[in-house]
Amino acid sequence: MIFNLLFIPEIILSIGVMIIIVIDLFLQSYKGITFKFIQLLLLLSGYYSINGQVSSIYQSYELSEFLNVIKFILLFGSFIIFHYTYKHLKYLNNLKIEYFTISILGLIGTMIMISANSMLMLYLGIELLSLSLYALIGFNKNSSLSSEAAIKYYVLGAMSSGILLFGISLIYGFTGSIIYTDIAEVINAIEMNSVEYLGIIFGIVFITASLCFKFGAAPFHMWVPDIYQGSLVSTTTLLSTLPKIAVFIVFLKLYYIPFISMKSMWSDILLFVGMLSIVIGSIFALTQTNIKRLLAYSAISNIGFIILALGLVSNEGIQASLYYTIVYSLTALASFGIITHITCNSHGIEKISDLSGLSQTHPYYAILILITMLSSAGIPPMIGFHAKLIVITALIDSSYIILSVIVVIMTVISAYYYLKIIKTIYFDSREELISVYSNGSLILSLNSISLLILGIFPYYLFDLSSYLMSLLFAISI
Amino acid sequence: MFNFPILSLLIWLPILVGLFLVISNNLSNKLSEYLTLIITFLVLLLSLSLTNNYDQSLSQLQFIERIEWISGLNIFYYLAADGISVSLILLTAFINFLIAIYASSETYKNKSAYLGYFLILEGLLMGTFTAFDSILFYIFFESLLIPLFLIIGIWGGENRKYATIKFFLYTLFGSVLMLISIIYLSTLAGSFAIRDFYSLNLSFEEELFILLAFLIGFGIKIPMWPVHTWLPDAHVEAPTSGSVILASVLLKVGGYGMIRFMLPITTEAGIFLSEYMIYLSLIAIIYISFVAYAQTDMKKLIAYSSVAHMGFVTLGIFLVFHLLGNNLNAAVIGLEGAIIQMISHGLISAALFFCIGIIYKHSKSRLLKDNYGVVTFMPLFSFLMLFFLMANSGLPGTSGFVGEFLVITSALGSNIIIGFLAATSLLLSASYSLKLGKNVLFGENTQNIQGYRECAINEKFVLGVLVIFILYLGLTPDYLFKIIDHTTINLIDSINLGRT
Repeated sequence: MIFNLLFIPEIILSIGVMIIIVIDLFLQSYKGITFKFIQLLLLLSGYYSINGQVSSIYQSYELSEFLNVIKFILLFGSFIIFHYTYKHLKYLNNLKIEYFTISILGLIGTMIMISANSMLMLYLGIELLSLSLYALIGFNKNSSLSSEAAIKYYVLGAMSSGILLFGISLIYGFTGSIIYTDIAEVINAIEMNSVEYLGIIFGIVFITASLCFKFGAAPFHMWVPDIYQGSLVSTTTLLSTLPKIAVFIVFLKLYYIPFISMKSMWSDILLFVGMLSIVIGSIFALTQTNIKRLLAYSAISNIGFIILALGLVSNEGIQASLYYTIVYSLTALASFGIITHITCNSHGIEKISDLSGLSQTHPYYAILILITMLSSAGIPPMIGFHAKLIVITALIDSSYIILSVIVVIMTVISAYYYLKIIKTIYFDSREELISVYSNGSLILSLNSISLLILGIFPYYLFDLSSYLMSLLFAISI
Repeated sequence: MFNFPILSLLIWLPILVGLFLVISNNLSNKLSEYLTLIITFLVLLLSLSLTNNYDQSLSQLQFIERIEWISGLNIFYYLAADGISVSLILLTAFINFLIAIYASSETYKNKSAYLGYFLILEGLLMGTFTAFDSILFYIFFESLLIPLFLIIGIWGGENRKYATIKFFLYTLFGSVLMLISIIYLSTLAGSFAIRDFYSLNLSFEEELFILLAFLIGFGIKIPMWPVHTWLPDAHVEAPTSGSVILASVLLKVGGYGMIRFMLPITTEAGIFLSEYMIYLSLIAIIYISFVAYAQTDMKKLIAYSSVAHMGFVTLGIFLVFHLLGNNLNAAVIGLEGAIIQMISHGLISAALFFCIGIIYKHSKSRLLKDNYGVVTFMPLFSFLMLFFLMANSGLPGTSGFVGEFLVITSALGSNIIIGFLAATSLLLSASYSLKLGKNVLFGENTQNIQGYRECAINEKFVLGVLVIFILYLGLTPDYLFKIIDHTTINLIDSINLGRT
């Protein structure tokens, strides 16, 4: 039993990271080889995550088929992110293996978060993730924006962790347990409007606030644009994918396992947070000139869609949010991936206008950005359209017609700034010196073009989300 | 009897070749022109054989291709064709073929991509006219925006950035509301097939909201009077072929959608609102004609004339609502008039935009005051253009007359005042068309600073073919009638049966 547990991806990654730190000491001038080891490590743990085991450790740590698939998605995502990051850092002459080891620690954090079946394990995972993110955000020591972002995220993150702990202690105080399933039983038995009931509501509200902060959802979104702007593009890529997937799974597990009997309470909160995120993300992005800030607001509105679908408390809603999360992660990977590949005047892309005239110098990259932006805007035949379609269908199924009208109007508003990027690339003339430091990166092309291909054949992802749904109900209550 | 997936071929052949042309950057101009010409010709042949194989005596759908696409959501890849689809497919294939012939007259940077986008647009249009699953329809309908956006934005005039974004957001706004009504209908019907929506029993309020969503969505596309302002901007900035495809085929998508969705699904609400919608169409016909007269830019003039002529299409469609129950024959005439007006306007507006493109090529100006006395230097061209202007004003014997005549007849069947007001268009369109002809063709010009030269052989061919077809449809519209007759009668009958 204990020996078997050596082969779960978390353990493999943890041991692997330590080995890589040692290897790096000896291969200082051959960072390429060390990076190959890192990729190998990811592949290895990827293998053990799809062929993973199903068990639970002291009730507080869960290994299930559903989570194994999600872990595989996380590992797959980090494989792509590391690929982009390696090239980016190498180009910036800032290649340090520590960057990857810290990222892997964060990755382990996300895995612990999603596997957690107890509040404390969840907290541990979140802290491990946050600590590595603090370091990654401040990685670019030469930039004052980067340091500012790191401190900002550190202070705010610490505060939100405090709020999370406060919520957890309230729940523990009123239910007497930190294990999800035990909490569910206690809450199910509690009378309406008793003191305990009120206390648990407080607990849920605090936990929701803190998790929304980690998710980057409005009204706890203030940090997102600054941190996205301040950190390296590669860090932003990581920030906008891995933690989002993990926090989404945490949302799913928390609300649908321990808090399921309180659904009338939290469903409205989630719907409100989701709508607010969509509105703020769409409207505030209009005036942005920095592309990273713009994509940060776009991320906020995408998160809004996910939370909105979760708040519907229906099977369609859960499936829609799963589908949307996968599509969002793919799109975010592609859009940030392209930005990591392009430089302007030998520094990274910052302003939207840095991209002007890209179509004349690098038509291939222009097409990739075109696909990605149209997908983000939800224009068919890209995959982004199907994601939005499924969320809106779930909304209408639950008869939230007015909400769906607001959502689609916000989609039109947000289409404006995606079009602005396309306009800059295709219609404006070139002023700055743009260069692309890797001609025709295969993974990047596959990543972006998949948005179009999957849009024409959307059933693959749809089947994946249906499969995940079937697994999900095999494990929960 | 006919198992070959001809509709899929019509859609995917141009799209795939178009994608190839867009991606391959270093293809020479000549090669890409020939490739486009071959593909559009093939598509034209395919659509002709489609028309031949189309059984005109049947009213049900033909050439059905139906494969499950997204099983979880019950969305099908469902293609089929009825008479209306077939006539619009012919128009699309024909106009795209002419654009491919005209292409060698245009000089643009990166021409292979330019022609590639046109091919993609052609395939998507075919898809829009043949999709019978509402989500599939919506996907084609929306995707149309992307190639047109790029065509106008990359190869357009000075103010293109403003025009493209305006056009894109305008149409996107209209269509997302439509999307919501489609999803709402599908939750009631349990399927996304358009035909399944027809038999739904909607409450009056539901119908009203759905009708409004469709009216906004398709009305912007057509465009109808208060939401037409994107069209002149888009036309003025678009390159010649872009204007041609926009005016002659893309606007028809709106009318097609109205016939396909609004008429059968929201009949009761349509009857309730028909009077107001007819007023909107009359405003488009009369007021926009005056606006067209006041224009100083040739392209804007024709763009506004398009809005006015499309007013006849919407008038014909809305008259159906008005006439249901009391005068079915007039309703059929109105709907057939609307369809014929769509086809005929597709030919005439294409011809006029080609003409303006040819003039612009020499004088580099679209303004009326910069272009005068063309007849002295381009006599044959002037004759052809005068013919198209006459057709535009609805001269009997040309196709422009048939559609307007039918719609006016149908209007007289409901109300003499509506008929009278619609008929004023014949006068008004003649006045702005003749104004254009008088100034541009027959102004006094001895110096030829514009450098007019008689048009090239391919331009002559394009205009000549258009003359033939406009005359053919005007003199013997039977060919078109036969294609659409059973479909329209069946449509009106089923709507009427559904009511009682």
